[in-house]
Amino acid sequence: MTLWTVLLPLVSALVLLAVPSRGLQRAVVLVSTFFTFLLALALPQAQPFETPWIEALGLYWSLDPAGAGGVLVLAAAIVVLPAALYASFAVTERTRGFLSLLLLMQAGLNGIFLAADLVLFYVFWEATLIPSLLLLGIWGREGRRQATLKYLTYAVAGSFIMLVAILALRPLSGAPSFRMEDLLPATQALPFFTQLWLFVAFALAFAVKLPLWPLHAWLPDFHEQNHASGVADAAGTLYKVGGWGFFAFALPLFPEAAVAASPYLLALAAFTAVYAAVIATAQTNLKRLLAYASLSHMGIVGVGVFGLYLAGLNGAVYLLAAQMLSTGGLFLITGMLYARRGSFELSEYGGLAKSAPALAAVTLFTIFASIGVPGLANFPGEFLSLMGAFQSSPLLGAFATLSVIAAGVYGVNLYQRLYQGEAQAGARDLGGLEALILAPLLTAILWFGLFPHPQLARIDVQAQEVMQGVSRVVAAPPSDPSSTELQATLAVGDAQGENE
Amino acid sequence: MTAPMTAAPETAALVINTVSLAAAAPFFALLGAFVCGFFGRRLREPAAGVFATSMVGIGFLLSIIAFLSLLEMPEQSVHVPFWSFLQAGDFRLDLGFVLDPLSLTLMLIITGVGFLIHLYSVGYMHGDEGFSRYFAGLNLFVAAMLVLVMADSFFLMFLGWEGVGVCSYLLIGFWYRDRLNADAARKAFIVNRIGDVGFLLAMFLTFQTFGTLEIAAVNEAAGGLVAGSAVLTVLGLLYLIAACGKSAQLPLHVWLPDAMAGPTPVSALIHAATMVTAGVYLVARAAPLFAASPAASAVVAWVGALTALVAAFAALSQMDIKKILAYSTISQLGFMFVAVGVGAYWVGIFHVLTHAFFKALLFLASGSVIHALGGEQDVRKMGGLGKHMRVTGTTALIGTLAISGVPLLSGFFSKDAILLHAFTTELIAGYGNLVIYGILLFTAVLTAFYMFRWYYLVFAGAERLTPEAKSHLHESPQIMTTPLIVLAGLSAVAGYIGLPEFAFPNLIAPWLETATETGVSFHHPSLTVEWLLIGVSVLAALLGLGLGYARYRGGLREERTGALQRASQHALGFDALYRRLFVRGGEGLAQGFRAVDSEVVDKGLGGSALGVGVFARASSLLQSGFVRAYALLMLLGLAALVLIVALSGVFA
Repeated sequence: MTLWTVLLPLVSALVLLAVPSRGLQRAVVLVSTFFTFLLALALPQAQPFETPWIEALGLYWSLDPAGAGGVLVLAAAIVVLPAALYASFAVTERTRGFLSLLLLMQAGLNGIFLAADLVLFYVFWEATLIPSLLLLGIWGREGRRQATLKYLTYAVAGSFIMLVAILALRPLSGAPSFRMEDLLPATQALPFFTQLWLFVAFALAFAVKLPLWPLHAWLPDFHEQNHASGVADAAGTLYKVGGWGFFAFALPLFPEAAVAASPYLLALAAFTAVYAAVIATAQTNLKRLLAYASLSHMGIVGVGVFGLYLAGLNGAVYLLAAQMLSTGGLFLITGMLYARRGSFELSEYGGLAKSAPALAAVTLFTIFASIGVPGLANFPGEFLSLMGAFQSSPLLGAFATLSVIAAGVYGVNLYQRLYQGEAQAGARDLGGLEALILAPLLTAILWFGLFPHPQLARIDVQAQEVMQGVSRVVAAPPSDPSSTELQATLAVGDAQGENE
Repeated sequence: MTAPMTAAPETAALVINTVSLAAAAPFFALLGAFVCGFFGRRLREPAAGVFATSMVGIGFLLSIIAFLSLLEMPEQSVHVPFWSFLQAGDFRLDLGFVLDPLSLTLMLIITGVGFLIHLYSVGYMHGDEGFSRYFAGLNLFVAAMLVLVMADSFFLMFLGWEGVGVCSYLLIGFWYRDRLNADAARKAFIVNRIGDVGFLLAMFLTFQTFGTLEIAAVNEAAGGLVAGSAVLTVLGLLYLIAACGKSAQLPLHVWLPDAMAGPTPVSALIHAATMVTAGVYLVARAAPLFAASPAASAVVAWVGALTALVAAFAALSQMDIKKILAYSTISQLGFMFVAVGVGAYWVGIFHVLTHAFFKALLFLASGSVIHALGGEQDVRKMGGLGKHMRVTGTTALIGTLAISGVPLLSGFFSKDAILLHAFTTELIAGYGNLVIYGILLFTAVLTAFYMFRWYYLVFAGAERLTPEAKSHLHESPQIMTTPLIVLAGLSAVAGYIGLPEFAFPNLIAPWLETATETGVSFHHPSLTVEWLLIGVSVLAALLGLGLGYARYRGGLREERTGALQRASQHALGFDALYRRLFVRGGEGLAQGFRAVDSEVVDKGLGGSALGVGVFARASSLLQSGFVRAYALLMLLGLAALVLIVALSGVFA
């Protein structure tokens, strides 16, 4: 069952290529995404999957359904289902290829979230880049070449360094395989400076994908140039997996280095959160605005991770899942807006609430979810992330919290420019099909906002394991105790250790 | 009362009794919002309004029953647990409501006054194309506000706190086609968000200090810390920022006058009777926390006193019938802040109660006037309306006298209690409480003056109506005047539950003090002094009214504008200052960051360091088949990667 969450979309993607008729393609996509969603729901009951891949090299096909990644698989499945359905209507050129790539992305993402073998993770990580690039490169808008190039350069530059680090890992640590359970004891015992270099290599790749300032320059162009339906943007939102990389790999593998580097990364993430939210207030292009808003959320994810506080780690992963729903939903809505007005420039909009009240209500709901109004999806994760960071560093935590104000500004600005004021021209209201497409997202946004406990319980188990590694560092001081930042971190960690 | 509540989430199951049933009140309001929101367009006009009104009515009945039952109970607090919201490491959060004298008093106000205002709205919003959207918003507001006051944790309170902010945003911008209304809504939302950041930070620090966000547990633990310790002061100040945002206190008061852009019943319910008092409620709810920090309490009181004065000054020369009341609300909220700042928590809530009656009344009366004149809001174009609108005029007069502090009406008793406790407080005795007393006394004179002006310019004196308004003129329908009459009655008599304690039986003080017990004490001056203080405040009210009469009996005199009057009209220029400082500053910052992002991070760092430029030039050679080349490149790359992994394994 665990394996099928990866295989089903993969197989469907291939089957799709052989299906000529449009209706049948849509049926295949619907069946595939719906059953993937059911599989994602059932993951907590699933058995881990493991089989040797290239045994001589210590490579395993090892997938763990019980970890925090299962929550991300679930959130992604909730987004892909309506996104794929929407794409089957909104993408009119080479639809089959588009849908096929979308399913491939889902397969890759599920692999990323479930992989319990480092090389397997890396293969999925890179493999997912291909459909993501092709979606942008083939179906993108006028400036797609430049955007694709930029995206490719950043992604490849980042992950190449990580690859080198991964390859160096086994010779350095002497671990029997690349499975995390074998790697962890070995890498955690590495000397501090070895850990630090390896951590930095991983961190570069993850920071590009998070993304973290100043490695985010690919993101606004990526979103601005993607297909006007917003489907590829939604898929791209799912692929912001840097936070997951830090949480599930970089932190547990190199806890000593992570403890040392986290104050700096925390500062960067806090800055990213505020910086991006402030820039979002000055955007005049709908998609660029959402790109910066999303970047700001990623800053908060980073803040939650680098606070190295248990509640914050929980919150970071939860926010990662929640923002898939809210940001993904907003991108699909931009597609619907484009279908009406043919532009992403906010100056082309205004007063649409009169002619399209239901669309206005749905948009406002999703905007509120995105800017962290309590009761909706983003808030629990945002709250825990910021609170966790505050426990480690009150100043940086408080600074990152200021992004909440800027989020309020860009949120209501966006709504006002789209829907309020005198109408320049009418637009048809939300159609039945569109309502059907958005309904699962809106439901999930409420569900994630009101009942976070079941999902957080799954995240918490893994977060506790991550923190155990970090706490061990605290118990046995690292080889370079002279730096003052380090000691400050340790002091905070001490207090934490006592709480547990 | 705190001990059983702290243990409750672990052990207590939901006990359904006549008290805990009141926890259903917000769900009825939510149902109303749901029905009006989703099926509004299918409902005929009054149906949505009637349904919404009856949902709030059910809430009111439940609250009354709970109130009566709670009076009988020895343990005056019932905890209603809901679901376990989250557990992340050592941070655990369960959602639940607490029904005690404090929350029930607020519930009675919210559902009671809310019911009347819903009823009134059925008449007021008649014929509006957004009729059911309006009631959906209003019901949603009631639900969020009830959650706010019943919450057993700061976290759940914050859910209601932002919830009411969202509803306020929706309703201020209700007539969204006018850009000014949308701007006002945006301003309210953003200023409130600044307060919300204070709330968030306060919660983070609360968790760091106490390890929980449960209000009862925090209150209990706050007593265990050293009184006046730095962390308590910082906590108090952070919660104060939140309170200032929601309750429109200095320096975050600027959104409330603009919020008058919403329909008038909204101003009555949200921006006078309920939501804006949330800050006062927050301080009262966390009373032990504030009582343990005299410094933070003193700041609360000073903020309140200065706000009361500044807002009353601004109210003196406003020309908009609702703006006068808006500044008056800010000023009255300042009085309440002084009450909770000096440690007289029950007095603060008492004034919340009486103010809810007379200020809702005054707003609804304004609405009746605006309705009658076909949308006219300028008091210069009113006058003499009392003759044409007898019910509105008479009830407005009662409201005016009540807020001015004329003896034996409700406002007199609550305002007098505030003045008295400011005079006798021991909690902030070293922080200039007598100056605060003096400021409030002076503000009381101003209050009576500007309220007389308001009444006189609208309802008495010469008629200055435009012919068009004159043709419109009519007394409002019964569905609107009935709430006016009920509220007028309450404004007259509500004060008798809070008679001065030194000479008379006081019902509300012991009732509320079971929920806000802190051990804060007050001086007990001699009877003569107490009577003297009452005499002084009566004089203040009469002086204000007398001055008002002296100035306005000759008709409207607003022609010559001195510097003082201009300052009053512009409310001391906060708006202009903030626009220059924060709005332009924020825009500048955004443009600056934006420039950095595109010029430095993107072109500079991104371009050169990562060699995008080189790539780009190389790619121009591949113009045709560019994308396919990439696909191939990527596949080749992936194959190479797997190969490298394989080889490295062999050599390892």
